[in-house]
Amino acid sequence: MTLFHFFNCAALTFGPHAVYYKATPLSEYDTAGSSIKAAIVYLGTTLIKLVCLATFLQGTETEGFDFSQEVLKALIGFLDVAGLYFALTQLTYRNISQTHKFQAVGLGWAFADSVVHRLAPLWFGARDLEFTWDYLLKGLESNANLVFTVSLAALGSLMWLRKNKPAALVPFIYASAGLVATMPSITSYLLRGLHWDLSKVVGFELAASLVVAFVTWRLYSACQRPS
Amino acid sequence: MHRIGLQTARHRFHAYIEICDGAAVVDVYRMIQYDFRGTPFGSRRAAVNHHAISGLSMPGSDLSRTVLILPIDKVHVILLNEYLQSKKMLGGLLLILPRNFDNGGKSSSESDSEDANGDGTADVAALEQWLMHNNIPYPVYFAFSDDRVNGFLKDVQVNDAAGRPATASTGGYKLVVSASDAKKIASASFTNIQGWLWGLRGEVDVAGLPTIAVVASYDTFGAAPALAVGSDSNGSGVVALLELARLFSRLYANTKTRAPYNLLFGLTSAGPYNYNGTASWLRGFDQRVRENIDYALCLNSIGNSDKIWLHVSKPPDNPVIKEIHENIAALARDLGVTIEVRRKKINISNSRVALEHEHFSRNRITAATISELETTPDLLDPLGGIADRRSNVNDTVVARNIKLIAETLAKHIYGLDGKNVEVFADGSSFAVSPDYVKLWLDLLSRTPRVAPFLGKNGPIIVALQKELAVYTSDVGVQNDNLDGSFLFYDTIQAQLSIYQVASVTFDLFIMIAVGFYLGILFVILVITTKGFDDLVGAFKRPASRKLKSN
Repeated sequence: MTLFHFFNCAALTFGPHAVYYKATPLSEYDTAGSSIKAAIVYLGTTLIKLVCLATFLQGTETEGFDFSQEVLKALIGFLDVAGLYFALTQLTYRNISQTHKFQAVGLGWAFADSVVHRLAPLWFGARDLEFTWDYLLKGLESNANLVFTVSLAALGSLMWLRKNKPAALVPFIYASAGLVATMPSITSYLLRGLHWDLSKVVGFELAASLVVAFVTWRLYSACQRPS
Repeated sequence: MHRIGLQTARHRFHAYIEICDGAAVVDVYRMIQYDFRGTPFGSRRAAVNHHAISGLSMPGSDLSRTVLILPIDKVHVILLNEYLQSKKMLGGLLLILPRNFDNGGKSSSESDSEDANGDGTADVAALEQWLMHNNIPYPVYFAFSDDRVNGFLKDVQVNDAAGRPATASTGGYKLVVSASDAKKIASASFTNIQGWLWGLRGEVDVAGLPTIAVVASYDTFGAAPALAVGSDSNGSGVVALLELARLFSRLYANTKTRAPYNLLFGLTSAGPYNYNGTASWLRGFDQRVRENIDYALCLNSIGNSDKIWLHVSKPPDNPVIKEIHENIAALARDLGVTIEVRRKKINISNSRVALEHEHFSRNRITAATISELETTPDLLDPLGGIADRRSNVNDTVVARNIKLIAETLAKHIYGLDGKNVEVFADGSSFAVSPDYVKLWLDLLSRTPRVAPFLGKNGPIIVALQKELAVYTSDVGVQNDNLDGSFLFYDTIQAQLSIYQVASVTFDLFIMIAVGFYLGILFVILVITTKGFDDLVGAFKRPASRKLKSN
């Protein structure tokens, strides 16, 4: 019954996004449009990233962790940040508060990311007869990813949308944003360079996502106070 | 966050490779499937899609939906036969051959589970015999053991012993061979190869010289066409023929040592099927060629025993037979071989041809079969096949028998009666070459040779043809189709995929776990963002609606 397994993994991968939307005030304020706009921006950003990667990256198929290549990939990864910046600042939204804005953007972004990166492998792989833990692990990874994206959107909104921030916190905000932005490189290093098992990497991602969420929450509420 | 484009693409590709590696893929060799005069024999199915089990009597298993996996040394043919005769269905049978099967299953690392060499061979022969002569309604495959197969078999055995055989509800290993049912081979062909060593032409034209034919059939029959090598039956005969061709071609190269006899070498096919190939070959003979053959020597299984028989159809007091017998007996004594004559009258009305020389006899050509077989074999007797491996042939015995036959021939064609001349003396340049014998025995023991599956120009046929062409002239090839009494089916090899499947229970458990997780997530998010009252309110509204509708 491997279609069964596919549904289980799909639920684990995409369920949290739906739950997040339903459970939080996002559904009440009908922010679906904002999420969809954010998803479209994500698709555009990914396209530009692919073009840059194809242009600048050498086609070496080595399994190991090539430092210079990874640095280049990380730099291109910052295009994500630029995309988020664009989504947060440039698009016009209906009148929604800032808290909801970053959540909607983060949600749409993470959902698009999961669909693009995980739907096809899931469809073709999870229906296989052979059972592997991989797809369940990838589902958990998608959960962590959601947290990371929303956190990054929150930090982004702090950086670009909020004008009065306590000066002491500003470096922390930028540092956290930088950390979250380089998370893909870190996981790639763990996977390829240190040869960690997928389950270990996913565990690390989940733990890191909780830490990042906590830090972001503290930073966000700290910036709330003056206003 | 998100993986970067190219890295993701590569990772996705890597994930596909991982998927393929997750399931083990093993080469398996299917059992033969054939009809004899309309009666079906062998394994009638090819596709496999069932769970694996390691024994016939495991509690809680539905055998008609499982594949039974047995290492060769754990096979009890009687039990299998009982199961078959009681008309109970099996999902499939997978037989595991030891890794170094060719060498009698002996290897330096596997010392614990191998039987003594003799027992091992006997079991395989008995199994082969049972398989070949029964109509088996389920797929039967052979596979060689390696680390993956051993590991997986051990897992299956452990699970079965713990009372958890693999089924759809408990999960476990699933074996899949995706092959459609085998199709009939429309025209099963065979190829005969012949070569001449022309004798010394005096006043007579070469074609008018008397001829002696040396014949050996090169194919075999076994339970699995992709594995049946028939090292002794009849690899030994083929090697003997090639070596004889080599030795006599050296003698014939020089006109001073060329005898006034032609030597005709024939490698025939379709031996197990009443020597169909030999019959076809003889039909193609010119009348003149036929008349000039003094006698034919058919070589069949001469690699294993110190006692050989001279099977004839004519009465032993026939002068030609008598001369052959006396010559060969005298030489045999010197070499330590016992030889006896056995006569069986041919019955023209009976289509059964048990030994090759009978076809010559039916065509009124004096012939004899030299063989270690004492009695004439029945149709598809356990000769050759898978059980007849390289270790079954003794190189020294083959070399000795080659020398015996060579000296006998030389005595006749050079008229050395009464003279004590050893033409092929050990150590001389005309000695039988042990290296040549070993080389060809090795090759033949590695090459499955079941005629309908070799095609017209299988590699071994081309190799034999080329080899014969080195030593003889006018090498000819004759193709023909098997007569209608045998019908063969294809698909002799396939790939088996071994999957580790999760049980339905596991999937249900995961579903509940994921549902639970999403529920908890929902509750937490509602509480943290909207507050507890909203959560309670979310549950209250449907309840009040229910009251209203009542």
